[in-house]
Amino acid sequence: MKNREENPHGVTQADIIVGIPSCNEASSIPFPTRQADKGLVKYYSDRTAVIINCDNNSPDDTRQAFMQTSTSTPKIYLSTGDGVQGKGNNLLMLFQKAVELSAQAILVVDADVTSITPLWVHNLIEPLFEDYEFVAPLYVRHKYDGPFTSNLIYPLTRALYGRRVRQPIGGDVGFSGRVAGMYLESPYWDEDVGGFGINIWMTTTAIRNKIPVIQSFMGRPRVHRVRDTPTSMDSMFKAVTGTLFELMCRFDTFWKEVKWSRPTAVFGFGAGDVEMAPPVEIDMSVLWNKMMEGVHAHWDFYGQLLNDENRLKLEEVSGLPQDSFEFPTGLWAKIVYDFGVAYKRRDLPRDRLLESLLPLYYAKTLSFVLETKDMNSQQVEEYIEDQCLQFEKTKPYLLNRWFAS
Amino acid sequence: MAKILIVDDEEGIRMLYTMELQDEGYEVITLPDGKDLLNVVDTEQPDCVVLDIKMREYNGLDLLQQLRKKYYDLPVILNSAYSSFKIDLKAVAADYYVVKSSDLSELKDKLKVALEAQIPE
Repeated sequence: MKNREENPHGVTQADIIVGIPSCNEASSIPFPTRQADKGLVKYYSDRTAVIINCDNNSPDDTRQAFMQTSTSTPKIYLSTGDGVQGKGNNLLMLFQKAVELSAQAILVVDADVTSITPLWVHNLIEPLFEDYEFVAPLYVRHKYDGPFTSNLIYPLTRALYGRRVRQPIGGDVGFSGRVAGMYLESPYWDEDVGGFGINIWMTTTAIRNKIPVIQSFMGRPRVHRVRDTPTSMDSMFKAVTGTLFELMCRFDTFWKEVKWSRPTAVFGFGAGDVEMAPPVEIDMSVLWNKMMEGVHAHWDFYGQLLNDENRLKLEEVSGLPQDSFEFPTGLWAKIVYDFGVAYKRRDLPRDRLLESLLPLYYAKTLSFVLETKDMNSQQVEEYIEDQCLQFEKTKPYLLNRWFAS
Repeated sequence: MAKILIVDDEEGIRMLYTMELQDEGYEVITLPDGKDLLNVVDTEQPDCVVLDIKMREYNGLDLLQQLRKKYYDLPVILNSAYSSFKIDLKAVAADYYVVKSSDLSELKDKLKVALEAQIPE
């Protein structure tokens, strides 16, 4: 079934688009819609704008909740055809619409975000009217918020592509109309990109294509519905890491030339009082159990993909007691690189490969929590910076294995 | 030979860094403040800037923002006697942050890495 569109105001051009992807978000979508409208009215009243809900024909009637939210800015409702879901597929409709409306600046805000303010609209859009074409968010975060980003996605992306984007899978981003067109023309699109893989795909594709990237300070935490239930964490982990490894294969002629990394400029100083992030509790016994169960279940499989030396060291690490558990970052980096190389070979079942990385990620997260439990947020940032440097220093190992295979 | 621009309001620091970095084989130029920074970067085209933060009339973090607007990829190392500025968000735009010390080995290491860093065109 084809996509569906409702454009009651007959919008045919917009300088700015705020896109809100959704799936069954009837109860939550009015809030970001109102905040986006306030931001557009406050900061961009001299420009044409539209708010677009990119939905999956949600049975809870997200469409009605969105369209009935009172705004000064005109609205458009887009829906994928029946049976098509995923944030990436929602954004694909947005890219097409952005090109059609000749938009200069596009902002994406998730429908379940409850901490968005009108200032976010400004901070994610304004750099697009300066010299930048992709704006990544920089939220205030508790030290344990986003361990997936801190321990895997950020260090790996930074070591590969050489650009420091601290939150490369942040849900709320800005990009130019030209970049929307570039996304549309990308030859790589699959089920993972159509789902949770979309954010890492957008960020990486922008960096790879030398799009000027900036990070924008949001001044407060990102509060949204919790998605890290075991099932959604599994599917999110697989979609994001699968996309990351696939991009690694497609962009290897680029990243093999990257050495160390370069910083990214930051926009949004003077955001007023910075709101502290609420504490995030991590249950270490859950991590421990998931790690032990997973490592045991996948041990023989690891033999097919890990370098022998790394497998021996992993055996040593997995024999450590829980209270003094430690997973050295140098070993973690080499293991992640081993997984990348195995992915490239494509001779192991893809789903099993990605699934078997998850317990090792839990192991690294457990080690991270134990090592940083007495640190403040700044000290943890320095710890993460050191992890990133270790991924960068270990990159010759990846180059040797990747291009030998 | 890589050209390094040192921006620091302490003459002793400028002299020490000049001697030590010249011994490492770098060409070194210095500025006592941020007044002419953009002009000097324009004319001298340094390969890396080592930038003090707390100068009498200039704030290195603000100078870094000005530099970044024009020179997206010019390596900049923040160099301060204080580690507390690390928490300032503006410091994120620097390649590295090195706390001043009489032992320049960390600065030299970071300088080497900053100069080696490359992202293909």
